[in-house]
Amino acid sequence: MNPEQLKILGSSFLGDLLKSVNLFYPETALVVTFLLAILVDLFTRNRPSCKMSGYVSLIGFFVTAIFLCNSPQGMSFAGTYAVDAFSIFFKWIVLITSFVIIVFSFFSKELFGEERQMGEYYTLIVGMTFGMFLLSGATNLILIYLAIETMSMSSYILAGYTKEIKRASEASLKYVIYGATSSGIMIYGISLLFGLTGSLNLSGINAYLAGNNVNHITLLISGIMIIAGIGYKISAVPFHFWTPDVYEGAPVTITAYLSVASKAAGFAILIRLLNSAFTIHAAGDTINTAWSVMKNVDWTMIIAVLSVLSMTLGNFVAVWQTNVKRLLAYSSIAHAGYILMGVAVMNYTGVSAIMIYLAIYMFMNLGAFFVVMIIANHIDSEDLEDYQGIGYRSPWLGVAMTIFMVSLTGLPPTAGFIGKLYVFTAVLNSGMYWLAVIGVLNSVVSLYYYVKVFRNMFLRGAEKANQPIELSLTVKVILIALIIPNIALGIWFGGLVNWANASAAMILK
Amino acid sequence: METNIFIQLLGNNWIAYTAIAVLPLGFLLLYALVAILAELKVSAWMQDRLGPMRTGPWGILQPLAEVVKLLQKEDITPDLANKVLYNLAPYMMFTGAYAAVAVIPFSQQFVPSNINLGLFYIFAVSAIATIGVVMGGWASNNKYSLLGAMRSVAQIISYEIPAAMAILATAVLASSLNLNEINTVQDGGIFNWFIFGGPGPWFKVFVLPFTFGLCLIYMIASLAETNRTPFDIPEGESELVAGYHTEYGGMKFAMFFLGEYVNMFIVSAIMATIFFGGWQSPFGSSIMSGPVWGLFWFLAKVGTVVFFQIWLRWTLPRLRVDQLMDLGWKYLLPMSFICFFAIALWKMLI
Amino acid sequence: MNLVDIVFYFFAVIIVASAAVVVLSKNIMYSAFSLLFTFFGVAGIYVLLNADFIAVTQLMIYIGGILVLIIFGVMLTTKITGLEMKTGITGKAQYAIGGLSTLVLGGTLIYVFNSTSWFKSPSVPTTSTVEAIGASLLTNYLLPFEAASVLLLLAMIGAALIARRK
Repeated sequence: MNPEQLKILGSSFLGDLLKSVNLFYPETALVVTFLLAILVDLFTRNRPSCKMSGYVSLIGFFVTAIFLCNSPQGMSFAGTYAVDAFSIFFKWIVLITSFVIIVFSFFSKELFGEERQMGEYYTLIVGMTFGMFLLSGATNLILIYLAIETMSMSSYILAGYTKEIKRASEASLKYVIYGATSSGIMIYGISLLFGLTGSLNLSGINAYLAGNNVNHITLLISGIMIIAGIGYKISAVPFHFWTPDVYEGAPVTITAYLSVASKAAGFAILIRLLNSAFTIHAAGDTINTAWSVMKNVDWTMIIAVLSVLSMTLGNFVAVWQTNVKRLLAYSSIAHAGYILMGVAVMNYTGVSAIMIYLAIYMFMNLGAFFVVMIIANHIDSEDLEDYQGIGYRSPWLGVAMTIFMVSLTGLPPTAGFIGKLYVFTAVLNSGMYWLAVIGVLNSVVSLYYYVKVFRNMFLRGAEKANQPIELSLTVKVILIALIIPNIALGIWFGGLVNWANASAAMILK
Repeated sequence: METNIFIQLLGNNWIAYTAIAVLPLGFLLLYALVAILAELKVSAWMQDRLGPMRTGPWGILQPLAEVVKLLQKEDITPDLANKVLYNLAPYMMFTGAYAAVAVIPFSQQFVPSNINLGLFYIFAVSAIATIGVVMGGWASNNKYSLLGAMRSVAQIISYEIPAAMAILATAVLASSLNLNEINTVQDGGIFNWFIFGGPGPWFKVFVLPFTFGLCLIYMIASLAETNRTPFDIPEGESELVAGYHTEYGGMKFAMFFLGEYVNMFIVSAIMATIFFGGWQSPFGSSIMSGPVWGLFWFLAKVGTVVFFQIWLRWTLPRLRVDQLMDLGWKYLLPMSFICFFAIALWKMLI
Repeated sequence: MNLVDIVFYFFAVIIVASAAVVVLSKNIMYSAFSLLFTFFGVAGIYVLLNADFIAVTQLMIYIGGILVLIIFGVMLTTKITGLEMKTGITGKAQYAIGGLSTLVLGGTLIYVFNSTSWFKSPSVPTTSTVEAIGASLLTNYLLPFEAASVLLLLAMIGAALIARRK
């Protein structure tokens, strides 16, 4: 290429670039926040436990939220990044979670107990948010891979942030090893897919697959490999091995973060991949149009099997857990299974159900982990046995935890019920009755261990009532702020459902 | 234009390729002899001595005698050394050094391999020599060797970055990574060399400090990369006996030694090529220029830089490890970034 | 068999043989140094595929960066060099399972590679790939390129964090 050709190429790209920059304000705000957080940290170096860069991150998230509100939609950066209602929905989930997690961190004794430098903590959370933003909109395999790596790289370090605690370092190391393997598998799958179709953009892959007859087995293998990489992020069985250890070892805030945000981002990319690359699209698709998934590989069955495995294993193993974080880890595996049911449906009703579920799951899981963290601050334990009598020692924590647990089980009138309701409805509508039956049976099993948590809090250890746990006002406010959506979304869910429905069909190809 | 005289003369066949591959080897062996002699003599004169005087007239056959001595020595492998790696290391080191010669433009008419990635390639293959150093240091099973190797690698890695920035800046100025093209661009006399900002209008004086600075930075970094004084802590005899080649003797030591001198040649050649116009005549392309003059100018420039390196060796004391790291990371690196940005900005504006 | 084939098999043998040493060797230093030849062979294959930039990058990053880092890590971890690695003392069951899964996986991959009709891009005679790569990075792949910088910065911060004493 000579300079003249390069100039022509450059100017032809300039228009696209200018358009893309307009679509990229939220992410740009995140990157600026990321850099500012480092700089601020540099100037507050000498004051350990300084929350300055945490505040900077919160302000940055706020600015990002403003940009996200007004974000236009469209394809950007030469078709590598889609800004559509679908990705914006997921970005909201990620952004809210990140915001809440940073607020949580201010209360964590685990993190602030030692005179620890906390600057990088916020920086890494902002960086991870950026990775998840990219992931929810990526339509190019390379960008998908990079986004997953950005997200993983930060989460590896965050999981071991309290590195003097052996359990945390171990968690971090396990996470890295599993993560490296799964991303290796994933990039191998990507290379196979590229070799088959000659394209890295999902739209290009889709066009090639629709127009040409490709080898099914190769496509299957590459698809499974890519799904393995994503399955690792959403901790679906059989890619879940890291989950219990990492959830147990990581600081509670990070556990909560991993269980909500990176799961949401993983689902976003899974849905986008299936929808944009492996589904044949006709003009005038609406929310009610069923996807015509390419017949060469039975994606529905693959996802359904993953779903059944995840919920069954997650729920049954959770029953035996005595550590609350571990219990919640298995519960999160089970929830990945429920959400995967919605993916297996392979239509926009399913996608909308997933989005509703994830939005609700965010509130209930964050709530549960917040209570775990506050309890750990006071009794230095995450053991289920030590939870005896918490309900008497602090009725606030007991009631809050009960609500979150009920919500996680999916009983009315909590929000969890609405989430499950929509997912099961989507599954039933698509005619996969067996899947729905397994799902319901699993929910029954989950009731057992969720009840176990608040049974310990209220029905045992009443004699400890004389050692009350005093909560500060801010903690109470946060608890209320987390309880409200869990109840409110169970009663007034119309807004959320409408938003999810409107966003679900808006996946740009 | 075909840039290789052997392919022009012998045709595109294996004879030509063999000649291209072997000729620099012969040249480098000769160069090593001269360089060793220069080192002996320069050090002697700087210290007001005569230096070797007995072998041949004024001792000019001294390096030859040294080589014969090394060749005759018994080939010893220490008992507890790791045999395979111990014996492989010197060749590794020399291979890495010699591989870089492949892209050096000796003259307009003789670039062994005129590839487009020349600069990048040189940087990449120098890694092989690094591996050779580590291999030798570890396989010797000697703590001085190991320490020397680790220091050497740490030093090379640290100083590779400022050196790479300097090289990248010239690549930006020349819009090419091809060494021969970089030379061609610096046509038109001494003030068009990249040390003086390259060809351009009078207001290139604004960029001149930066190119000049980068030249200095590269000079310093290249000294560190070749483990020469004042950066010879990997071999500092007062602390580490002889660093990573403590256990080596005879022919294998000669290989290491040769590898180091070839490395010296390479960095000097890069410097001559990217900052001093390589085979370009300092008086412009009409006076004293042509393939043969090109070879002369190139060798003259390389010789000057090599002399400068020797001169420094006998002038400056050795740095401490922490000073070495400070210099590399805290001074050279930021400075090289600043220079690089300035040059890239200038290139964008003109 | 033409020259290209011969060169290909030459590099292929280097890669496979040295990779086998990496896996099977009981001495971790042998593994590390053997990796050098694997990387080198891969770079050779890249050259054969006319991907000169990738080849040199391979040398630069894998040999100059990763391998040196591995060896450095091994040397700084004093106890590790003499450590017996558990490569030969596993039981028969592990051998059987490992061998079986290797066979199945290898067989599947070989079958897949032979039976698939891969996408063939029109072959364009290239002289140099640098300009094309540069142009792609700043046009079609601008976002991945920029995102990579954030990723690297994150990784750097993380590494500094892990290395810090407190």
